[in-house]
Amino acid sequence: MLILITLIPFLCGLSVLLPVTRMFRIRLFVIVSFVHSISVASFWCSRPTPEFQGYLVLDALGLLFLSVISFLFLSVSVFMLGYFKHEKRNSRTFTACLMFLLCTMTVVTLSNHMGLLWVAVEATTLFSAPLISFHRTRESLEATWKYLLICSVGIALALMGTFFLAIAAHQVDSLMLPAVLSGASALSVNWLKISVIFLLVGYGCKLGLAPMHSWKPEAYGRSTGMTSVLMAGGLTQCAFLALVRVSQICFKTGLGQFYGSILILTGILSLIVAAVFVLGEKNLKRSFAYSSIEHMGILVLGLGLGGVGIFGALFHVINNALAKVVMFLTAGSVAQKYGSANSSDVRGVIHLYPVTGILLIIALFGGTGMFPFATFHSELMIINAAVMSKRYLLAGTIVLSLGIIFIGLAKIVLGFVYGRSTEPVLPKRENAIMNAVIALAAALLVVLGIWMPAPLTRVISDAAALIGSTP
Amino acid sequence: MTTWIDASCILIVFFSLSILATYRIVGMIQIYALQSFVLSLMPLFLHAGNVSSRDIVLSLGTMVLKAGVVPFILFWAIRRISMRSEIKPIIGLGSSIVCGALLVAGAFWVSMSLRIPGKAAADLGLPCSLAVLLLGFMIMVTRTRAVTQVLGYLIIENGIFLFALSLFDSMPTLIEMGILLDIFVAVFIMAIVLNHINEEFEQGPDPEKQVKPREVF
Amino acid sequence: MITTILIHWLLTLLFAPFFIGVITKVKAVIAGKIGPSLFQSYYDLARLSQKRSVYSSGVTWVFRLAPMIVLAAVLMVSLMIPIGIFKAPVQFAGDILVLVYLFALVRFFMIAGSLDTGFSMEGMGASREAFFSCLTEVTLFMNLLALGLLAHSISLSEMIGANYPVSWNLVGPSMLLIVASLFIVLLAENCRIPIDDPDTHLELTMIHEVMLLEHSGVDLAFMMYASAIKFLIFSSILVPIIIPVKSLDPFINLAIYLGGMTGLAVLVGCVETSMARLRLDRVRHLLLISFALAFFGLIVTWWRA
Repeated sequence: MLILITLIPFLCGLSVLLPVTRMFRIRLFVIVSFVHSISVASFWCSRPTPEFQGYLVLDALGLLFLSVISFLFLSVSVFMLGYFKHEKRNSRTFTACLMFLLCTMTVVTLSNHMGLLWVAVEATTLFSAPLISFHRTRESLEATWKYLLICSVGIALALMGTFFLAIAAHQVDSLMLPAVLSGASALSVNWLKISVIFLLVGYGCKLGLAPMHSWKPEAYGRSTGMTSVLMAGGLTQCAFLALVRVSQICFKTGLGQFYGSILILTGILSLIVAAVFVLGEKNLKRSFAYSSIEHMGILVLGLGLGGVGIFGALFHVINNALAKVVMFLTAGSVAQKYGSANSSDVRGVIHLYPVTGILLIIALFGGTGMFPFATFHSELMIINAAVMSKRYLLAGTIVLSLGIIFIGLAKIVLGFVYGRSTEPVLPKRENAIMNAVIALAAALLVVLGIWMPAPLTRVISDAAALIGSTP
Repeated sequence: MTTWIDASCILIVFFSLSILATYRIVGMIQIYALQSFVLSLMPLFLHAGNVSSRDIVLSLGTMVLKAGVVPFILFWAIRRISMRSEIKPIIGLGSSIVCGALLVAGAFWVSMSLRIPGKAAADLGLPCSLAVLLLGFMIMVTRTRAVTQVLGYLIIENGIFLFALSLFDSMPTLIEMGILLDIFVAVFIMAIVLNHINEEFEQGPDPEKQVKPREVF
Repeated sequence: MITTILIHWLLTLLFAPFFIGVITKVKAVIAGKIGPSLFQSYYDLARLSQKRSVYSSGVTWVFRLAPMIVLAAVLMVSLMIPIGIFKAPVQFAGDILVLVYLFALVRFFMIAGSLDTGFSMEGMGASREAFFSCLTEVTLFMNLLALGLLAHSISLSEMIGANYPVSWNLVGPSMLLIVASLFIVLLAENCRIPIDDPDTHLELTMIHEVMLLEHSGVDLAFMMYASAIKFLIFSSILVPIIIPVKSLDPFINLAIYLGGMTGLAVLVGCVETSMARLRLDRVRHLLLISFALAFFGLIVTWWRA
């Protein structure tokens, strides 16, 4: 079963490389995402057995991330049905890469071997790069190049970290996660420390944590909305899963304090950087990219703080993905309608496209963690964790940064929504499919904010227990 | 056999240093191919003369991919660039070489306090791979052409590969092949993007935006 | 003591011009010419020493003194180098420092003498010589340090006479680095292609030769003898490292030494014919590469020793 859900997207990805019509490719992608989602949904009822000599295993953590990814792909694929009505470019490479990406991301969530995890994360980097340069303008090519180089080097460092981990696990003589975890006492602490630093820097590049974030505004700002959703919600969170796997090992070997403090440092740095840079931003997508840096910082902070923070971080993984769907798909639809996402070109969206305008405001509130949305709860949990561990200064900085980011985002989004309207390039008609997808994600975000289903709570608790945090 | 391993390690570092001292892109790629060739021979020396089929497969795989296909792809990607085109490094070749030598010293200094279990303290694998890694970073940072950045990345990758050989047995072959394949695909995609960049930036300045084609590409 | 010194000097003076002749011959033969006799350097020196030195009216005692000091210093250095089976008459711990400083003295007087002429071309050559020797000196020192690490001694005689078969087995690769770097130093210090061209007569491209333009007669003979001895000294350092074979029979040892020296001269000749002289700004890079090689060799030797 597990092999099947990785193979189906891969084979379909190969098949769309054949000369078929544009809409066929997109419909095939919708079907693949649908099948993928159905099978993932069935995993919630009965967990599949390990496959492929134990390399592919679905644990609670994997299930959580896999569901998020599956949902992202489903919503993006449906959104594409609407988007490609107005898009002239050929969709061959784009859809093929999307399906390869689905395949590799699934492998990331399933992999139970640190080496395989690396291979899969690297593969996600490679297959997402062509997505950024979809429009193949100078700017998007530059963004692709920046992304490709920074992430490749980062991921190379993560490979080095994986090898260091293999040295640390010299006596265990395996990088299988259960073997490493059960032999945690035999790991060499010094090598593990070096390995953790390399892994953190490496996967942190992918995550877009503060000093390694420079590719993010470029890549998100120049790519289509769909790509940004998959990268901000899927790709970066896959890298976060890798960090979670590392933290599993760290908490088991008593390096939790060491790892936690580095995570907190990078997390708070990301928040501050996002807060500083979002204020002067003139481009909607780029400012949402800074919001993505902020959310990654929050995730990492939650993981580093431990205790209730981990539960919050895992919950935030879901909320972040939903919020990113709302934010980037709306931004993408605005950018398509006006042919630009700069504040100088777009004003008064609400007069011409009332639904899109409302969705933009929802995206603002959902993305910055305002009350009825679930992001509010998860961020609150993480701040709570900071307060409970008596890090008042940290909690204060988090709140302050979140406030500044809200101001920055509100300034640009409200400027887009209100004011005298500018002339769009497309006809002044809403696209029902696109809006429906965004509205559904927004609705889910609100529902999760008010009521959390019992199975979801159970899975998140199981996953938090797997990390085995000690506050 | 140790002598051969040492010789390969030293040659690999030396090739990285000489890439720093090279001013022609074609020459850099050729040196990279040579370095990869030496690297691909290393699995044959690892088990004190007992060459297993796995060693041969790994050696051949590395040789074909790193010393053959990757340089070929790079040559393909730069086929529009003049054969004699020279790089314009941020810091001069002379200072690059001195910095490179210092980085090598740094790598050895760091390795003093690290010891790989099951390896002799005098083993050259760790310091040399760290040195190659650092030199790769330096090439990437100080050489601003797109191709040379790819080369820097590839040299970093070679350094990591050199390191991986020293803990050869704790990685399953499958994962190793996956790593090789990933690197191959990485270069392939980089070459395609490079090609797009060349196409896009060779059409002359964009009349609307008046963006000058940057020196970078 | 006095006799050994005298024998040593005699041997040095006897052998030195021969190897220069070998290089010239090899170059001629590869170029398809018959070339001058192997002993042409001896004839040249004999001819020059019969002539009177001519001094321009502007030069001072510095210019007149320079050739003598240069030859004297080089002869002093030669006393610290074992030649074939003849042990070095002067040897003590730390004599490598004396060697390096004597070479610096040679260079100083050469530069001072050429600046004394007030000829602009000579000044140019002097500045180039000063710059390049900055680089080679450091490299030479690094190499000698690495050799010292291997021999556990900082005396030149013990370094050269060290047990190199063992070293080649133990740290073969780093020995290779040292040898390569020493070879570049040899080329640079002796003004050979690709660093400098001893045959050129275009002042703009010359480094070493341009500094000798104003010298004539006996002075020029002194200068030329000094460079020949310098080549002998560097080769005598390099040859025992490359050919670490030792037998009990002194005559075989002498034959190996002479064979090695001639081989090295032939090699230099081959390098000279097969390479073009480097552009002046690339010379710096070559010397820096040799520095990097030496530095790396030193690190690896230290790591292993």
